[in-house]
Amino acid sequence: MAEDKKETEKIARCAMCADMCKYSCPTYLATGRETVSPQKMARLIVYNEKSLLEDEKDFLDLMFQSAMCGACSRHCIYDDYDLRKFIHKARVKAFDSGFIPEDVKKRVETFRKFGNPDCERELIDNGAGDTGYFISCSSYKDADLLKATEKMLSKSGLAVRRFGGGDICCGAPLYYAGDVEGFRQVSLKMKAEIESRQVRRIVVDCPTCIKMMTQIYREIGVELGVEIMHTAQFMQALLKQGRLDFRKKHASVTLHDPCILSYDLAMSSIPREIITALGFSLKEPVYSAEHTHCCGATYGAKIGDHRLKDAVTSMRLNELRDTAADIYVTACPTCKSVLSEVNMKYITELVAERIIAKR
Amino acid sequence: MAVKTYMSQEGILPRGFIERARRIVGDEHFSQQEGDLISYSLDYWLYGIFLSQKGDLPALPSAVISPASAAQIQEIIRCAGGYRVPITPFGGGSGVLGGAIPLNGSVVLNLQRMNRFLNLDELSLVAELEAGIMGANLELELNHRGYSAGNIPQSLYCSTLGGWISTRAAGQFSTKYGKIEDMVLGMEVVLPDGNLLNIKPVPRRSVGPSLKDLFLGGEGALGIVTRATISIHPLPRLTIKQSFVFPSIEAAVDVVRQILRAEARPAVVRIFDEAESGRYFPKIGRKVTTIFISEGETEYTALDAKVIRRISRENGGKSSGEAPVDIWLQKRFDIGLGPVLMQYGGIVDTIEVSALFKDAAKLYRDMVAGMKAVEGVLEVSGHYSHFYREGACLYVTFAGIPKDPLRYYQATWDAAMQATLQNNGSISHHHGVGFWRIQYLEQELGATGVRLLKSIKSALDPEGILNRGKLIDGRR
Repeated sequence: MAEDKKETEKIARCAMCADMCKYSCPTYLATGRETVSPQKMARLIVYNEKSLLEDEKDFLDLMFQSAMCGACSRHCIYDDYDLRKFIHKARVKAFDSGFIPEDVKKRVETFRKFGNPDCERELIDNGAGDTGYFISCSSYKDADLLKATEKMLSKSGLAVRRFGGGDICCGAPLYYAGDVEGFRQVSLKMKAEIESRQVRRIVVDCPTCIKMMTQIYREIGVELGVEIMHTAQFMQALLKQGRLDFRKKHASVTLHDPCILSYDLAMSSIPREIITALGFSLKEPVYSAEHTHCCGATYGAKIGDHRLKDAVTSMRLNELRDTAADIYVTACPTCKSVLSEVNMKYITELVAERIIAKR
Repeated sequence: MAVKTYMSQEGILPRGFIERARRIVGDEHFSQQEGDLISYSLDYWLYGIFLSQKGDLPALPSAVISPASAAQIQEIIRCAGGYRVPITPFGGGSGVLGGAIPLNGSVVLNLQRMNRFLNLDELSLVAELEAGIMGANLELELNHRGYSAGNIPQSLYCSTLGGWISTRAAGQFSTKYGKIEDMVLGMEVVLPDGNLLNIKPVPRRSVGPSLKDLFLGGEGALGIVTRATISIHPLPRLTIKQSFVFPSIEAAVDVVRQILRAEARPAVVRIFDEAESGRYFPKIGRKVTTIFISEGETEYTALDAKVIRRISRENGGKSSGEAPVDIWLQKRFDIGLGPVLMQYGGIVDTIEVSALFKDAAKLYRDMVAGMKAVEGVLEVSGHYSHFYREGACLYVTFAGIPKDPLRYYQATWDAAMQATLQNNGSISHHHGVGFWRIQYLEQELGATGVRLLKSIKSALDPEGILNRGKLIDGRR
């Protein structure tokens, strides 16, 4: 009860703030719409809790227009607060009452049918070793990324078990849809999949998978009991250990920081260190690292308001293009796919291109 | 709608206006959805925020229109004029005097889609931007290119360039870089008749009275600023931070006066009274503390800091080093306490006024004493934060947990304004008038001044289409 009161006070505080984080919100910036700014979302959540809103469907629909990227919590004046938890709570309510947007509904149905957000897929499970490479749903669809990863893993000289595809997914689409029970089931399935492979650590390309498998699973009481690391962390360690020989290249590279990698996982320096270690000169967009903007994927890939997605994606593409770099790189396979107009590469591709046979 | 409005009734829009407005901006950018109406119902007028926690809102707009260009605004304004629909321009919604509250069932004209960084002229040291750009985004864009506008208000993260212009805003670094009216060289404005006024950017001109000054502080009641060209500064090569403790407010104010008279130009000068010093700097405690930041080219900055140090020491200032400046830099955007207090029935607000040096210290004493005498008061504290060779801005924060919130709020404001006027001060340094300060306008401008401002308003906007109920009522 005391915990509930504390939480109520937190969001009420946000609802009376001056919106000091809205300058960082990609949804607000791309649309110029006050209503989707964090403080206004908070006000509406508070009003909904107090039953002051008449159009609940409009409200719940709005709750699905957040990118859930975390820019607002990163730039919040309160250290103990994350608006996304309250938005998620509203989504759970929407899910339970059947008021979720059509796109989201379809995605959940697809998930229930195939165990993943896309389609029927072949299960990949090969190799052996105490390190696992979990193929995220976005990586699974990206042949270039998988090829580059294969090259990088084979040159590393480490024994790595590759697995993914089929019905193995972290469950993020269900989490973002507000399907609490569905997400819990998926997290338990993921735990079983990992345990059956007896790996000590898992390397993952997708920051959202990592966030789910660590922070969000923990919130619902599921501990995977293995070390989860991002591919950039893994490659950085390989480079430091001298396990990868590479030929340096002089070209300019702009890094698109994936929002979850920057805001939730605080790893924005690692891809930069890899890029500069490979001899590239790094170019920074105006909005990078702790000011990065979401690519728009959270609407398209996870949630599904395509008008919003287009506005956010187009804003991010323009910000990246302004750097006029030779190469554009990111550390999230979904961002890569969404920002394909600038020939975005995943960071493993950049590394794999520079790897040479061990002397 | 279950939320309540206490200042005006919901407006009823003519169907013809709705259809035409939809065609101008597109269906997606015309809204009468509940969520939008609530979100544009209020700016950051703190009494309104206090009431909003229970669902009481000062007013609801009858619609929200979000144009993407000056041309669309021109069409909307002409259409509004035809149907006599009042329009309230809405920038960042950070104004603290209710300037963006859509009174009279107004339609809100949301300017936040017009947020582009347009052009940088490094040779002339000017940048052109759309007025809806948020302050922090403007600074991020400029900083990335090696520049700053030098306008860093506490609302940097939630206010727009257009809002700064419309209220004659000031930033924390104003002692060196000036207020926004010192920075704007040119602007584009949609007038209440729908015509577009272009004031080209030049350093100075002699072509009659300054037209741009009509809109610097025009509060969206005389025209809608759509873009502006502002002066910019290269990022400083050197920054020197200093702080000194003085025996009294009077001593501290006089030291700053001498420093500015000696031609030093620190970017930041702030004198905190005992209460604010105690809150900001626990290690110093309740002693009058002054912080200085000198910045710019290396040689000038070193000299600036030297002059500040010498005059401060010669006048009894005890150095407290850089630490208080760093603490202030870290906390300067933290407005977190207000929303917490309000949940417990607290009324919180800030009042900023200006005065000449001869009156500045007495103004502080009288203002704080007057505000502390109001029943229900919890705390009144102040600092001086913007300095000129001639005087300063005094910024007072008050909080109370009164039995009757509105009576307390009104009485505290009355006390502050009375002390200001008695000490020859101006009732506002940079927050503007909005609707709340209109009640004190005649005491500030005099009957002749009010008549003149009314004439200007009615000449530009005879039907009172733009931001009705704010700044001045121009209707005949």
